[in-house]
Amino acid sequence: MKNKSIITSILIAILTLTVLSQSCAPSKMIAQKSGAQLWGENCIRCHNLPSPTDFNDVQWATIGLHMEDRASLTETEAEKIIDFMKSAN
Amino acid sequence: MRTTTLIFIFLLGYAASFAQDSTQAQLDAMKNDIASLRKPENSHFMIRGFAQFGMDASSDNVEFNMTSFNPVILWRQGDKFLFESELEMEYMSNQFSLNLGYAAMSYKVTKGLTIKVGKLLLPFGAFGEKLHPSWVNRMSEAPLGLGHDNGMLPMADLGVEIRGGIQLGKSKLCYSLYVVNGPRIKDGTMGQTEAGQLTWENANDNNKNKAIGTRISLLPLSNSSLEIGLSGYYARPGNELSPYANDSTNMDLNYKDVTALLTAIDLSFVRKIDAIKGVVDIKAQYNTTNVSDAVYLNPDDTNRHTNRYTFANNSTSYYAQLAYRPSMLENKFLKNIELTGRYSIYNTPEGSLWESKQTQFSFGVNYWFSWRTVLKIGYQSTDGAPMDMSSMSSMSSNSTMSTVNRFQIHLAMGL
Ligand code: HEC
Repeated sequence: MKNKSIITSILIAILTLTVLSQSCAPSKMIAQKSGAQLWGENCIRCHNLPSPTDFNDVQWATIGLHMEDRASLTETEAEKIIDFMKSAN
Repeated sequence: MRTTTLIFIFLLGYAASFAQDSTQAQLDAMKNDIASLRKPENSHFMIRGFAQFGMDASSDNVEFNMTSFNPVILWRQGDKFLFESELEMEYMSNQFSLNLGYAAMSYKVTKGLTIKVGKLLLPFGAFGEKLHPSWVNRMSEAPLGLGHDNGMLPMADLGVEIRGGIQLGKSKLCYSLYVVNGPRIKDGTMGQTEAGQLTWENANDNNKNKAIGTRISLLPLSNSSLEIGLSGYYARPGNELSPYANDSTNMDLNYKDVTALLTAIDLSFVRKIDAIKGVVDIKAQYNTTNVSDAVYLNPDDTNRHTNRYTFANNSTSYYAQLAYRPSMLENKFLKNIELTGRYSIYNTPEGSLWESKQTQFSFGVNYWFSWRTVLKIGYQSTDGAPMDMSSMSSMSSNSTMSTVNRFQIHLAMGL
C-alpha cells in the first residue's frame, strides 16, 4: 500500500511538472541549442563525456543510432550531436 | 663530351618528369582513398564492449576475478537499421559462463518512433538498460537486487518493443512499450526451497499469454540533467497445467492464475556545478515485485495435512548512489578522481523458503584514465544472508556470518 501511494504521488508530481513545462511546441531556446551544447548536456548523464576524436565519421553514425535509444534522446538531438561529433573529430 | 653531357641531362629531366607524374598519381590516389573514407558509408560493422578485472578481499578470502568481458557487436545498415548485441562472458569461481545479453534489430520508423525486435535489453528501471556496463557503473558490482543472480526483475527477454523520445516544450518525454515471453514461476517441483520465485529470459514460453511492460520517463529541465522514470510490468508466469497433474493428493495445486506485477521508479541527476568545480551524479531506483498468492508444498514436511504453505510473495529493492568528480580542477591528477557512495537494500518475501533481508553500504574512490577506462577502489559492507549462498564464493566457507565486509579493486575498460 505504501509503495502504491509513493508511486501515485510521484506520478502526480511528474504530470504537474509536464503541465508546468510551458507550451507544447519546442521553445526557441531549445531549437537554437547547438550540437556541442547538447553533447555536453546529454552525453554525460550515464558515462563521462565521450571525446569526438575517439571515432571516425562512419563510427559516429553507428554510435549515434545506438545511443539515441540508450540515452533518451529525441531524433533532432541525436542528429545535432552526431553532426557535431563528425565535425570535431 | 659536351653532347654526352647534354644527352645525360636530357634523359635525367625526362625521367624526373615521369617520377613527378607518378608522385602526382599516387597523391591523387591517396586523396581519393581519404575522400571515400570520409563519405558516409551505407553499412558499418563494429565491435565494442567492456571488460572488468580485479580483486575482492574479505576476512577469509582473497581472489582475483574477471567479472566481465562483454563484447558489444553493432551492425548498421543505412541510417535507420541497427542490429545491436551483447555477449556476456564471465569467469568467476572456476567457471566460465557465456550468455546472450541482448540481440535486437531496430528500425527508426519516423521521428519519435523506433521499433525493436529480438532479445531486447528491457528498459525496466534504468540500471539494467542504461547503467550496467562495468565502465558506466561507478561501483565494482551492481546494486543489490539488480544483478544477474536474483529472480526479482527482468533484464532482457524475447519480444517486440516500440520506443522514442519527444520534445514537450522545454521538457522531454521518453517512452517504451514492449511485449515479451515473460517469466515463469518456480512451483517447487524442482528446487523446492525456491518455490514462488520468478525465472527470466525464457526462450520457450510455458503458456499462451505474453508479458507486457512499459517505461515512461520525463526530463523536465531544459538541460536534460534530471530524468525520472516510471516502469511497470505485468505477466502471468504459471503453466496452463498443474505440475501435480498425475498426483491425486495435490492435483488441486495450480499456478495458471498467478499474476506478477512489477514496478520501478528511477531517478538520475547529473550536473556540472561551477561552485564545487565538478560533476555531481545522483542515481537511484526503487523496485517492487508482487506475485499473487499461491499455495506451495513444503519439502521438509512429509505430513500431507500440514505440508502446504503460502506467503505474501512481495520483494522490494532499492539503491541510491552519489558520485562527485572535481573535473574542473586544474590539477591533472585530482580532476580524474571520483568519490562514490551507494546504499542498497533487497528484501525477499517473509515466510518463503528464500526469505532474506539484505542491506549494503559501499563507498569508493575511482581514478579515470580516460572517459571509459577507470580504476575503482572500494569498500563494501553487506548485512544479511544473500538468497543464494553458493553464488558468493567468499561467503560459502562461513555461512553463519551475517555481515560481510569486502575490499575491492577493479579495472574497467569500455572497449
Ligand atoms: C542513458 C545512459 C547513456 C547516455 C545518456 C549516453 N550513453 Fe553512451 N553508452 C551507454 C551505455 C549503457 C553504453 C554501453 C553499450 C551498451 O549499452 O550496449 C554506452 C556506450 C557508448 C559508446 C561506446 C560505443 C557503443 O556504442 O557501445 C559511445 C561512443 C557512447 N556511448 C557515446 C555516447 C554519446 C555521444 C552520448 C550522447 C549522445 C551518450 N553516449 C549518452 C549509456 C549512455
